[in-house]
Amino acid sequence: MNDSLPALLQGLIGWLADPAHWQGSNGVLERGLEHIFYMMVSTLIGAAIALPIGIGLGHSGRGGLLAINLTNIGRAVPSFGVIIFVFLLVGYGVIPVIVALVALAIPPMVTNSFVGMRGVDPAIRQAATAVGMTPWQRLLQVELPIAMPLIMAGVRTSAVQVMSTATLAAYVGLGGLGRYLIDGLAVRDLVQVLVGAVLVAILAVATELLFAGLQRLVTARGLRHD
Amino acid sequence: MNPEWIASHTDDILAALIQHVQLLGLSLLFGLLIAFPLALLAIRWPRLYAPSLAITGVMFSIPSLALFILLMPLTGLSMATSLIGLTLYTLLILFRNIVEGLRGVSPVVCEAARALGYSRVRRLLQVELPIALPVIMAGIRIAAVTVIGLITVTALIGQGGLGQLFITGFTLSFTTPLVVGFVLSVLLAVAVDLALVGLLWWLTPWQRGRTS
Amino acid sequence: MTTAAARQRTQHAAQDSHAIVFDTVSKRYPDGTVAVEALDLTLPAGELTVLVGPSGCGKTTTLRMINRLETLSSGCIRIGDRDVMESDATQLRRHIGYVMQHSGLFPHQTIADNIATVPRLLKWPKSRITARVEELVELVGLDAGLIRRYPHQLSGGQQQRVGLARALAADPPILLMDEPFAAVDPIVRTHLQDELLRLQARMGKTIVLVTHDIDEAMKLGDRIAIFNQNGRIAQFDTPTRLLAAPADEFVVDFIGADRELRRLALQQLDPEEIDPGVHVAGSATVGDARTRLQQAGSSGVVVLDEAHRPLGWLDWERLRQADGLSRIEQLELTPWRHRLHERTNLRSALNALISAPGDVMPVVDDDGRYLGVISQVQLTRRLS
Repeated sequence: MNDSLPALLQGLIGWLADPAHWQGSNGVLERGLEHIFYMMVSTLIGAAIALPIGIGLGHSGRGGLLAINLTNIGRAVPSFGVIIFVFLLVGYGVIPVIVALVALAIPPMVTNSFVGMRGVDPAIRQAATAVGMTPWQRLLQVELPIAMPLIMAGVRTSAVQVMSTATLAAYVGLGGLGRYLIDGLAVRDLVQVLVGAVLVAILAVATELLFAGLQRLVTARGLRHD
Repeated sequence: MNPEWIASHTDDILAALIQHVQLLGLSLLFGLLIAFPLALLAIRWPRLYAPSLAITGVMFSIPSLALFILLMPLTGLSMATSLIGLTLYTLLILFRNIVEGLRGVSPVVCEAARALGYSRVRRLLQVELPIALPVIMAGIRIAAVTVIGLITVTALIGQGGLGQLFITGFTLSFTTPLVVGFVLSVLLAVAVDLALVGLLWWLTPWQRGRTS
Repeated sequence: MTTAAARQRTQHAAQDSHAIVFDTVSKRYPDGTVAVEALDLTLPAGELTVLVGPSGCGKTTTLRMINRLETLSSGCIRIGDRDVMESDATQLRRHIGYVMQHSGLFPHQTIADNIATVPRLLKWPKSRITARVEELVELVGLDAGLIRRYPHQLSGGQQQRVGLARALAADPPILLMDEPFAAVDPIVRTHLQDELLRLQARMGKTIVLVTHDIDEAMKLGDRIAIFNQNGRIAQFDTPTRLLAAPADEFVVDFIGADRELRRLALQQLDPEEIDPGVHVAGSATVGDARTRLQQAGSSGVVVLDEAHRPLGWLDWERLRQADGLSRIEQLELTPWRHRLHERTNLRSALNALISAPGDVMPVVDDDGRYLGVISQVQLTRRLS
């Protein structure tokens, strides 16, 4: 594994230029789509669970201690260990891995949506009540639009984290671009490993940029102070 | 759980733990050493701040395994690869918090320090830095806990501290090493976090009794 | 107005559908603090009532109980003959305007959308809302170009105007204002206060305004309720009565040391007190003027033009030295810097008199015609 840098770059370009590597069940397209699929499914299911909890707690102002510390707790749990743990407990399966990814995606979204909802100026919340909004109207017309940038920031954090952990999950058998990394490491094929790393990095950066754009999109114009 | 395995592998477990702590300490140290001057530059030239935040944000999104591997052509399968990768992650977190912390110092206080005749360097070290310490420490805590998790990933490229126990558990299909590694990793994260909170408490006597 | 008439008006107002009546209202918090204790108060319809007092006196709680932002612990509040606790809280609030200290505008909505909040909640048709927003923008003196902007792009004073427009949007008969001008600078505050008085003269709404500023209370209030620290009312009266007959030491202290000056500000010149004075036409001769002065025993004479408007003051010394056959208007007169209007308040009159020649000021009517003079001596007598 001590090839020179130019040789490696050449190998990398050669690998990517070979159309055979792009097609089929182990092709880049298939693996890339798999990776995006795992990320989307886990983030969406995670959001469906986490956002109502975070928003609900933030709206009512209860459970703050838990909501705020959830992310810290989640951060202390090594996701690599979780993936292997799930594998050792139930054996390999896409569903157990996705369940683990969902569990890891939940904390940042709970914390961010809670903080976002709590961050709504109490005077504005009071104004909404004083003009005669029902609690639901207050939530939908005032609190949510104002909290939306932070809520989306949480989704973005989770998506990026799921992307990273899904790569690791190739170690226990999950598909996606992580396969190139794990398989390449196993057979000491440095070119394949690098291809995987480059592709994963590109996908991750694209995800980050996509969600950053999304975050900007859901920020009401009046809240943009630039 | 198999207590015999633990008893017969105490040395291995200890070595893994020590490596974990070493990687943590070094990556935090290097991260601080690099992030600090960068933060000062970003404060000196505020125009640099937004773009550098954007760049660090994007870099932070690259999955850890991919980042480690991208460094391999440069540094091979060495401790340096793990260390550089981990340092990059701490750097990203620390940079942001140091800048935010120093920027958050009230201009009135800076003005007062200037009026009292503090030189630039003394003002930074004796006034701004202590006041910014809580925010900076928050960054160090996040960086430390994050890196403790990331170190386990480096086991895949040959280092890994407690992550080696994960690999052992996986290859042997044996949960005991995995659980030991897992529990030690979480305990280390909690212990380091508490130690840093204690350190901050000790360093900032003026903050005590105040709810943050 | 006599006290009997005032009482009669209050009674009449209490029956009006938009008078607000507090009937032994108390507000205690779970921790035992008492914010308001056994409050009995009738806020007459169509008047601006100010609740004023030191911080923590329960004035804001009192205000917020009217639209149920706070729930009362006991007693009852009625608007007209409806108990607020029996009406639906959101419906109630949609028909009571509310203005808060920091405008409380929704940062993610344009000015137009902010103003349209209540009409939207009441499901008005779009065209009616648009028309109403335009009307309100003009009413509160905002530049029409601002309505597409967002709150953070407006100054504090402008935001407060938007806050008022939002509160008035559905034309509620009642307007609650919680320290509406506390967060703006003094100059803007004076403008906004004047504007509120101007609007209220036109609208005649039942307004309840909370402030800690006694000057603001005196300036704006038809009636003022002064709260003491115990959440009770020390005195509820018109500004004039508060100054003339403060109920206790607390009220005296709260109104402050310059009570007499404040009192003057609330009093108008009494027509009885205007002295016809000695006046001559500019076309008269010096001789005529001397004769008039000697008869009246005054120190000088007011010179009027053909339209009977005061031109200036001529004192005895100058008259004595002048040629008896020359005309008055050929002499050099001492002009007044101000003229006092017959409805001016005594405080301004006193200020003007301090620099007036001959210690007297001419009083004029709406057309600037001379009515008489008022002297410093007379005013000082009223002060004591």
